[in-house]
Amino acid sequence: MRPQVILHSFGYLTQAAGTTLAISLAGIAFGFLIGAAVCAARLSSQTWLRRLGGAYVSVFRGVPLLVLLLFIYYFLAKFGLDIPALAAAVGGLALSTGAYQSEILRGAFNALPRGQAEAAAALGFPGPEIWRRILLPQALRISVPPLINEFILILKASSLVSVVGIAELTRVSMNIASLTYRPLEAYVGGGVFYLAINLCVAGFGAIAERRLAAGGAR
Amino acid sequence: MSLPTIQIRGLTKRFGDHEVLRGVDLTVAASEVVCLIGPSGSGKSTLLRCVNFLEPYDAGEVRIEGRLIGYEDAPNGARRPMAARPLRAMRREIGMVFQHFNLWPHMTALHNVAEPLRRVRGLAHAEADERAMAMLARVGLSDKAQAYPSRLSGGQQQRVAIARALAMQPRLMLFDEPTSALDPELVGEVLEVMKSLASEGMTMLIVTHEMGFAAHVANRIAFIDSGRILEQGPPRYVFHESAEPRVRQFLQTYHDRNSF
Amino acid sequence: MNPDVLLRYAPSLISGFGVTVMCWGAGGALGLILGFIISLLYRLPFAPLRWLLRALIEVFRGTPFLMQLFLLYAGGPYIGLKLNATTAGVVGLGLYSSAYFAEIFRGGFAAVPHGQIEAAMSVGMGPRDTLLRVTLPGALIAAVPPIVNMLIVLSKETVVLSIITVPELMYQMQTMAAETFTAFDAIFAMAVFYWLLVEATSRLGRRVEARVTAFMAQEASPA
Repeated sequence: MRPQVILHSFGYLTQAAGTTLAISLAGIAFGFLIGAAVCAARLSSQTWLRRLGGAYVSVFRGVPLLVLLLFIYYFLAKFGLDIPALAAAVGGLALSTGAYQSEILRGAFNALPRGQAEAAAALGFPGPEIWRRILLPQALRISVPPLINEFILILKASSLVSVVGIAELTRVSMNIASLTYRPLEAYVGGGVFYLAINLCVAGFGAIAERRLAAGGAR
Repeated sequence: MSLPTIQIRGLTKRFGDHEVLRGVDLTVAASEVVCLIGPSGSGKSTLLRCVNFLEPYDAGEVRIEGRLIGYEDAPNGARRPMAARPLRAMRREIGMVFQHFNLWPHMTALHNVAEPLRRVRGLAHAEADERAMAMLARVGLSDKAQAYPSRLSGGQQQRVAIARALAMQPRLMLFDEPTSALDPELVGEVLEVMKSLASEGMTMLIVTHEMGFAAHVANRIAFIDSGRILEQGPPRYVFHESAEPRVRQFLQTYHDRNSF
Repeated sequence: MNPDVLLRYAPSLISGFGVTVMCWGAGGALGLILGFIISLLYRLPFAPLRWLLRALIEVFRGTPFLMQLFLLYAGGPYIGLKLNATTAGVVGLGLYSSAYFAEIFRGGFAAVPHGQIEAAMSVGMGPRDTLLRVTLPGALIAAVPPIVNMLIVLSKETVVLSIITVPELMYQMQTMAAETFTAFDAIFAMAVFYWLLVEATSRLGRRVEARVTAFMAQEASPA
């Protein structure tokens, strides 16, 4: 095992780590929008909306991410749409995580004691106000720990976009391995970068959790 | 004169900086029923749990029929923690009933009662089951032998817990607020079983809020507050004749809500 | 898609599915066994061991499964571990899932209320009997739902094995797609197939969970 290999490729790995982080951030951000929309659908009073949301969750949790990514890739190829691989990758991640995030948000809303909304209604709060001032802030607060967890999962899942050629951490590790004939060092190096990113995110998440807990009573 | 079943002298216990028990003295003679009453945080549960060393104590001594529990005399004269095996041997002879029953949820009522007989007393499978059935009958639950705890009411679960402790044929029994977690209408069935145990001569030390039960069944009441026993004596004395201000204050809240 | 094409490739697709199931089963079993052992070792009052185990768990949970596979398959020979693709796939799944199962079992142990242990102590039960008759059964029952969940997650991870050329279903499908220029149809079929598979196993999993934990469920009206 020759650590010099890792040191020499440090620059490439750092750049790739940045790509991984960027893709994951974009994925989870768009995924949050999708997740919020799907969650709203699942909580809606309209049956067809609920069914649609349920179907979305079922499909995008059931189809493995790799299959989804390749599906988007071949779909774009078949219908001749000239969308860059990066956008396709982020889209795939977003669609997939959207399903999980919708369930996280839905779980958070269901965890709220119903009495709070009832008390607000009894005091004369109008419907949208109850939503905005009482339910939404608390639901978001409850969602933060599982959402941070989901972010870490996305960071790891992003390694699959390497199959469509994007130069993120896994793809770059593969390149280093084939160029230097030292797969051990290459993949250990890449792994260390993933661990470092995850550690930072987890640490950030702990701080965020503490800040939020200080505000709310549990 | 036989040794008292429980002899507590100068019992002291600390949780960090907080002194929970400050030099408690208490004696329970054979076949005596002693009820510990007092406000929450007074240390009564901690005191009870020191008797079978579920809670280790820092100073003083607890003796069961003359034998020190939790510690043994080291060769150099000081004392050291008791080894695991003799401690388990002593615990075998002490029955305990918990506020939250603590039945094992993956075993039927019968199995709950028979398991200690098999694992600790070393009884054969069939004999353990027989003894367990007899104990369940004793507490009025023979028809629930095959039921799992999740299917039983709180009162039934507690009675199974009593049967489990009783099956070991202990020399004394400890009760840690046995009815505090029960719905009011289920309290009676558990108190009935405890009453019958008392009438059969079981030595019992009970932490309870059930003043009516204590008044009629206990030989002695001990009032504990802030880690010290402030008053003890027969129920009539403690409830009606004691001049201790803290006792009077504590009982006042009960006078206001229940009459006994 | 031409039905003749499907018919021609049916044997390889079926064999691919067989490999998928085999990898999932063997990998899952390996993961469960390893994870259980790790969780037991974790209970020993030996700090350096716990530190080591925690580091192992964090590495396997903190890095992508694909990287772990590459390390095993491509890097293995450099430390004397020459595994063929399928073996690397199974071992990879096993190691990866063992970290998750270890945490699941740890959670199971923690879920056993301390009061039940105290009850065992109060009747004088020894540590071995307490572990075998009270702690372990309680922990295992508590672990069933998350184990079922993880096994379903694992079934989806098997597609990643195709990247290191394990001849499971996805790999066979891609081979067929490449040879017959039916990439889109093939991947679409894959998506539908896996969606149905995961739906079916999820429902089955819920039923198994319910069956195992049924006797512990609260009845609607207590007697």
